[in-house]
Amino acid sequence: MAKDLFSVTIFFIVFRETLEAAIIVSVLLGLVEQIIYEDPERLARIKDAQARADPETPGTDNALEKDPSASSDVSSTPELTSGVDDDIVTKRLLRKMRIQIFLGAAIGLLVACGVGAAFIAVWFTQAADLWANTEDLWEGIFSLIASVIIFIMGVTMLKMDRAKAKWRIKLQRAFSGEHVDRNTKAGKWVLFVLPCITVLREGMEAVIFVGGVSLGQQATSIPIAAVVGLICGLIVGYLIYAFASRTTLTVFMVVMTNFILLIGAGLLSKAVWYFESHAFAQIVGSDVDDTGGDGPGSYNVRGSVWHIDCCNPENNFDNSGWSIFAAIFGWTNSATIGSVLSYVFYWIAVMITLVYLKWKEGRTKVFGKESQAGVRRRERQEMLAAQEQEQQRLEETEKEGAREAAPIAEELVQ
Amino acid sequence: MRSAACTLLALLSAASPALAGVKEVWWNVTYVENANPDGLFPRSAVGVNGTWPPPPIVINTTDSLVLHTTNSLSDPLTVHHHGMFFNSTSWMDGAMGVSSCGIPPGESFTYVVPINSSNQHGTYWAHAHSNGQYVDGLRTVLIIQPENETYAYDEEYTITIGDWYHDQHSVLINQFINIANPGGAEPVPSVSQCLSHVRSAKLMHVTRAEAPLMYFSQGESYLPPKEGSSPSGSTAGTGFNENATMSFEPGKTYRLRIANTGAFGGFYFWIDGHDMQIIEADGIETKPYTISQLNIGVAQRYSVLVTAKNDTSSNYAIHAAFDTTMFDTVPDDLNPNATSYIIYDSSSPTVEGTVDEFLSTPDIDLVPINPVPMQPSNANLTVTFEFDTMNDGTNHAVFYGAYNDDSFDSVTYNSPLTPAVMSALTLGDNATTSAAYGPLSFVVDHLQVLDITLRNADTGKHPFHLHGHVMQIVNFAEDYTSDDPALNPPINESQTNPMRRDTVLAPPGGAYTFRIIMDNPGVWFFHCHIEWHLESGLAIQIIEAPLQMQERNSLPSVLNDQCATLGLPYSGNAAGYASVTDLNGLPAGPWVQNNGWHSKAIGAMAGCVLTAVLGMATVVWYALGGHISEAEIEYEERLRIEAKAERGRFFGLAKKVKGLRVRPRTD
Repeated sequence: MAKDLFSVTIFFIVFRETLEAAIIVSVLLGLVEQIIYEDPERLARIKDAQARADPETPGTDNALEKDPSASSDVSSTPELTSGVDDDIVTKRLLRKMRIQIFLGAAIGLLVACGVGAAFIAVWFTQAADLWANTEDLWEGIFSLIASVIIFIMGVTMLKMDRAKAKWRIKLQRAFSGEHVDRNTKAGKWVLFVLPCITVLREGMEAVIFVGGVSLGQQATSIPIAAVVGLICGLIVGYLIYAFASRTTLTVFMVVMTNFILLIGAGLLSKAVWYFESHAFAQIVGSDVDDTGGDGPGSYNVRGSVWHIDCCNPENNFDNSGWSIFAAIFGWTNSATIGSVLSYVFYWIAVMITLVYLKWKEGRTKVFGKESQAGVRRRERQEMLAAQEQEQQRLEETEKEGAREAAPIAEELVQ
Repeated sequence: MRSAACTLLALLSAASPALAGVKEVWWNVTYVENANPDGLFPRSAVGVNGTWPPPPIVINTTDSLVLHTTNSLSDPLTVHHHGMFFNSTSWMDGAMGVSSCGIPPGESFTYVVPINSSNQHGTYWAHAHSNGQYVDGLRTVLIIQPENETYAYDEEYTITIGDWYHDQHSVLINQFINIANPGGAEPVPSVSQCLSHVRSAKLMHVTRAEAPLMYFSQGESYLPPKEGSSPSGSTAGTGFNENATMSFEPGKTYRLRIANTGAFGGFYFWIDGHDMQIIEADGIETKPYTISQLNIGVAQRYSVLVTAKNDTSSNYAIHAAFDTTMFDTVPDDLNPNATSYIIYDSSSPTVEGTVDEFLSTPDIDLVPINPVPMQPSNANLTVTFEFDTMNDGTNHAVFYGAYNDDSFDSVTYNSPLTPAVMSALTLGDNATTSAAYGPLSFVVDHLQVLDITLRNADTGKHPFHLHGHVMQIVNFAEDYTSDDPALNPPINESQTNPMRRDTVLAPPGGAYTFRIIMDNPGVWFFHCHIEWHLESGLAIQIIEAPLQMQERNSLPSVLNDQCATLGLPYSGNAAGYASVTDLNGLPAGPWVQNNGWHSKAIGAMAGCVLTAVLGMATVVWYALGGHISEAEIEYEERLRIEAKAERGRFFGLAKKVKGLRVRPRTD
């Protein structure tokens, strides 16, 4: 059954975290290529560091020539003296670096998966007993937690197209030997440690999210969704690395975010529905269980907005796909004023948050007001524009000078 | 009082052609405190002249009964003489809201039951037909002795059985018709919430063993508790259940009259070691029908002949076991059996047995002594009833069906403001329009032959009672939805003498067809006798020959005065207007839930979709507008990292700590 074996929410969470990890790894890969082919200074330093026994020693400040063959430490890298050898060595080095990156990422992933599996196993075998007879109240609380997690995730996901640039800076600084943090010191193992830590971090995040969301879900619904999410995240991550521009990434993130927010709104609506259902069950006692299912008596008519005697996503015997509809869009065949309003308010909260964030990032004005970042951006743009103008002016004066000089020259020639 | 006396005189003069005596009975209906018939819980009951149970009424068939009733309760009261014909005086029928408004608290009314002119005898009963007072105790048997007995017997006993609640009806009805009871679980008898005080008043909670009631009477007096027992409370004068005994002498034949005067529970009744011969059902004498147990629904009565054994070596138990299939929940501590005893010799041991299975009583197979042939019917009312959670969240009964090809949708019964009898008498020619009486009212012409086909779409048994008539049981379908003629046979029009009675137990999924000759002008209630169901709308009004009613009009004006006292109209249509159609202010509903996809749902869904679309548009707007270039991102990120480096780790805490550590040295 769809409901029992595939949790859409879990899928999205794992997918999202995998994707972020994939992006970081792809940034690393790109950075390595960039360093090898375009940034010999740093390459040399890396080679230097790799060659040395002591990985703590950062690259020296000696100014290197543009020519990659001109190494400061010839004795430790004798193979770089020949140009042809150098090409081969560079390629070999690139391969070695890539292997390090992938190894790091793989180990990070493995550890994250192990911890995640252990965590979920413990969760479901030990903690799940606490709410063995999953009452509406628990389901409501879990749905509420999940909807909040998804809200935060969805909003942060929208910034993921900027992750590449951010990580580029972070990683560049790491390579530059500046201490971003203790783990990213440039060193022999930097290319191993960085992806490992990153993937581990995203993995743990996923585990916590999955744990939080899975409270209200059956254990059987997690594995397949998680594995599928993982695979999809890797595929999409690779596609982004291989082909996509930032714009396509942005579009992709918009689509994904909308999907995940749809789920979140549905979960909040469901949470409110569960709370109301719990309250009704409190009044009615065992009787509501007797009736069960749909139709009169199965629900509280007070505050009901609609009730249809079919299409019940909770019907475990024949829900004909309504459970998937419910998981993605929050569908219920018995909507209440509370469940409808909470759905609407979730989206209103999304709108307010996004408008605020865009304003705070200085990308829009709200009622003509600018945020700090907005002022900074504007000033910087103005400054850049002024510089550009200055330059143009300078160029023009140069040209003009040339033009003025030309007739003089001609005259001189004549 | 004067008008009542006038009525009495008028009636007596009207009845004078028959050799009539008058039996006068004075009832002051009062609360009786500390009534504790089952010995389990003392409660306030409704009794007569300060006693409970109310005294049995025994009357000769040639007499008319005059019941002077004073209402000393705090609510209006009516008394209904169950099964009586009243011969065109249906205002004496005592069905509140149908035949009268009720006796206001502190006032009196004199019920005149013209038994002398209705040629009825047998086992009947009288009970309050208002505000559930009969659940609280106002109920007693009414025995009409014939001039000549059909069957010879040596002695007779009357056995009254019934459920007994420990809570007041007013409490129970509030729990029953309540949003907290959408499934319509009826209060289970004798279960006390008073003591357990369980939150949300679950009907399943009991603290002690409970039992239904069984007690005996002979003539107009109840049999005292057996010697040696000392029951408590104001009901100590009567023997109940295990304290109730009747003595049999070897070889004698006894007539036992058994009446279920309960509010809800049906019973299986049997006597250990003795077979029974049914000779009467609901006042209709039948050919002997031997049976080992009786299934007797609320308001049904049977007379059986029992022949005593020829030896006195042992005594025998009499059992009345609740038909627990009617209960939504059977409390663990409920003892569903009431057991009393037949004593041959008080020194002999007692035999107490059980039965292997409960058997229904096929009353359709009984044959009346006085044959009444079938007449072809010329009016047809087909109704199906069921229970459901209504649009206000409470559970109610609804009927749907058709009357003479005019179909009607599911609707629940509400008492009209104007008692239907008064509407019929005051509406003139408009009185023949069914709509004037509110929903579930059907006007039938004088001397028409009405078929009522009653289909039970519910899952329980329902004892249906028609006032003012006996119904010929002309057909029974085990499953009215079936195409199989064995399960759903057509009416056999060639029956010469179908069984007739006033209360029939309708089983789930089945259908009965009753044939009634409309020879008794009046408004007659047709309803389920389970009080909870009556109050949740399982009732129909048959308005029989309203024009003939008007011709025979002699409604005592005190009934109008009592309506006025209670602030109710006593003329015009159901809502009190001299109109057929204007029913403004008539209580109606609740209605069947109209679930599905309606405008409210569409609007709400549109709102949800709109906000979702707006939200998603905001996401798009956020992501796409006001583009930040890579350079800017990098610039901002550098600023951020620098700011972080400036601040130090852990929001600057680490730096501060380090600073503190470092300070002594710098000093």
